Amino acid sequence: MILAVADAGPIIHLDEIDSLALLSVVDELLIPQTVYQELEAGTVPPGLETIEYELVESDATDLGVELDPGETAALAVASERAAVLLIDDLAARDAANDRDVEVHGSIGVLVLAFTRGELDKSAAAELMGALQTETSLFITDAVVEHGISLLDES
Amino acid sequence: MATDLTERVQEIAEARGIPESEILEQALERGVEDLWVDLVLSRYIDDEIDRETAINLIGRDRVKRADQEVQAIEDDVRWGLNA
Repeated sequence: MILAVADAGPIIHLDEIDSLALLSVVDELLIPQTVYQELEAGTVPPGLETIEYELVESDATDLGVELDPGETAALAVASERAAVLLIDDLAARDAANDRDVEVHGSIGVLVLAFTRGELDKSAAAELMGALQTETSLFITDAVVEHGISLLDES
Repeated sequence: MATDLTERVQEIAEARGIPESEILEQALERGVEDLWVDLVLSRYIDDEIDRETAINLIGRDRVKRADQEVQAIEDDVRWGLNA
């Protein structure tokens, strides 16, 4: 049973490779109101309406982190509910690790989708590459290749 | 794509007040630098060169960032395979 809280990053990045539906591979998905408002400030990906999620409030007053409001809200919800935090920003991942919150990103969602039978291995590898070449996610080319190698070896 | 590049080169040249040929020269230098960084990081991640060598070639910040990204992607792949 995977309860996960999504920050805007994975929602945007997965949408950019037409794979937003893969977020439904987690068993229960929470999206903080603050994150949703950040999406609304741009464009809420239409695909978000095709997956099940719960909009939740957050109380981030005591966190004391220097992250953006959406990241802070997502971290607060994950901490309160012992949920997996889905976030791509490295600083936010560090903040989560510092607070013993389990944290993963868009790459993790793609690999989980493979494990749960939503993607075959080659499609998962292809989408990992696309995250680097076709989205606003900043990740080093050689690091993505390393991730694809780890997936291939599994 | 080619049209985009041509238009961008023209716009940059006009904005900077320098010839398009100079813009293309700068673009080539930056492109080769990026490809060089990618190559060094690839060799570092594949254990073909050690950390100090990578730092000497492309700088500590880039290597440190790559270390963080590798940690994150390894965590993600492990989780995705075992969750």
